[in-house]
Amino acid sequence: MNTIPMEQGLLLAGILFIIGLISVLIRRNIIFMLISVEIMLNAAGLAFIVAGARWIQPEGQVMFIFIITMAAAEVSVGLALILQLYHNLKTLDSDAANVMNG
Amino acid sequence: MRLSDLYFLMPLLILVGAATLNMLVVAVKRNHKIIFGITIVAHLVAVFTLLQLNGSSYQIPPFFVMDGWGIFNLGLILLTSLFVTLLSYAYFEQREERKEEYYLLLILATLGACVLVISQHFMALFLGLEVLSVALYSLIAYLRTRERSDEAGIKYLILAALSSAFLLFGMALVYAVTGTMSFPEIGVYLKSVTELPLLLLTGFGLMIVGIGFKLGIVPFHMWAPDVYEGAPAPVTAFIATVSKGGMMGLLIRFFSQADAYRYANLMLIFTIIAIASMLAGNLLALRQHNIKRLLAYSSIAHLGYILVAFLAGNRLGVEAVSFYLVAYFITSMGAFGVVALLSDTERDADQLEDYRGLFWRRPATAAIFTAMLLSLAGIPLTAGFVGKFYILASGVNTQQWLLVLMLVLNSVIGLYYYIKVIAAMFAQTEATTERRKVLHPALSFASGATMAILALLMVWIGVYPTSLVQLIRGLLATFMTTF
Repeated sequence: MNTIPMEQGLLLAGILFIIGLISVLIRRNIIFMLISVEIMLNAAGLAFIVAGARWIQPEGQVMFIFIITMAAAEVSVGLALILQLYHNLKTLDSDAANVMNG
Repeated sequence: MRLSDLYFLMPLLILVGAATLNMLVVAVKRNHKIIFGITIVAHLVAVFTLLQLNGSSYQIPPFFVMDGWGIFNLGLILLTSLFVTLLSYAYFEQREERKEEYYLLLILATLGACVLVISQHFMALFLGLEVLSVALYSLIAYLRTRERSDEAGIKYLILAALSSAFLLFGMALVYAVTGTMSFPEIGVYLKSVTELPLLLLTGFGLMIVGIGFKLGIVPFHMWAPDVYEGAPAPVTAFIATVSKGGMMGLLIRFFSQADAYRYANLMLIFTIIAIASMLAGNLLALRQHNIKRLLAYSSIAHLGYILVAFLAGNRLGVEAVSFYLVAYFITSMGAFGVVALLSDTERDADQLEDYRGLFWRRPATAAIFTAMLLSLAGIPLTAGFVGKFYILASGVNTQQWLLVLMLVLNSVIGLYYYIKVIAAMFAQTEATTERRKVLHPALSFASGATMAILALLMVWIGVYPTSLVQLIRGLLATFMTTF
């Protein structure tokens, strides 16, 4: 089996990361923003796996497990907050959450 | 894992134990007093065990290192968290929400910051940072019936997760190039190459985004005012101090262990960030009428000041950062403590109008707030003045004239908005109605005593800084043999 060169793996991770970043910037629905951030986190996880594979070390995969665990914790808190916000605002549009500015 | 590792990690283990115990107690019976008591005792015991470690330098490879810098930061974080807990009791006692989980989350956030400052490995860094962040999301939105709390919570969550992703991607790139995640080994790699690969530079750049966000420095500061305004006042105090101080501790450890001070382009980035933070923080604070937002912008500027000392990159610089952190922690806690003290059940006392004529209604509170604001502005005889003087000394010592000039200029700008608040407090107003007080006298006494201790500490450090300086020097003796 051929191994994938590190550069290509990192390139893929980078593209995923940028897709996530663009979508978190242009999306206005809070749930989609959360999903976009998850894509970015997973892109970082992928980069770790690629890096770990390059050095033939388990650290990259350990880090990936940490990242998905953290992402799960983050999403659980995030969804709870979104529920509360929806309860208050009756919308998921992030532009509605603009009581504070200046 | 050796048995002695446990001894050196005792302060952290105690926090873990306290968090678990709190959770179990909440499951059995909800009682604000009991939880509060457990939290206070846990902090005191943790500080006590930390004192036993004084003067030691111990490696727990590959994740942690317990040296003077770590012990200093741990002590600072634990004591700050203790004061925040003391201020929280009266604040949350007035509120309808379930209060017990607050302390649980506070302990977890403190634990995260503690892990952060003793880590010397990306994994430990990441774990500490996320324990701190996830606990903070819930803390910020704790008063969930308030619209502002939710809004601040979700804003912080999205942006913090975004910055975590940047930090992680940066770490992955650094790992891909160097093949190691531990700071000293990255330092070894950096020494072995003459020119940094582009991938490594990109990695450092992305990491700066993540670190800069936590520190709340320009251009990653957009969350600060909203989160400060929306979060409950004790939580705001916690974010302004522990969360930022923990990250600063980590930043200095990373830079000294990896010896990254040598790279002019990294230093240039931080110089630009420092100047932008000072200018933007102070200029934007000028037009604020909301005390919490004003303090948010002021803390952006203060982190800019701290970066000036950080950029000195020598022992004097680290001493200056340490001293300024202590001064800034005390004054920030004092200022937000006053906001917490004056808040009622409806909302936090964050409008400038709430403070108009405060001196004639509550002279002691107004006096403490005045002292804290003067210290933030850096008036002589306060801790803030000595801290700023220390930073100036470190800047002059390394001939960073531009930074020194900006620091002085910004101190003058800063003076204006601090004085504006003080002037409002001393303004004569016609018969104002005193807010209804529902608190038990013992409670307001406890908060008052905490505030008085903070004010005394602040003046003591300002008048007699030698003892603190000696303490810091003693602790830093076991840190940074590279300098």
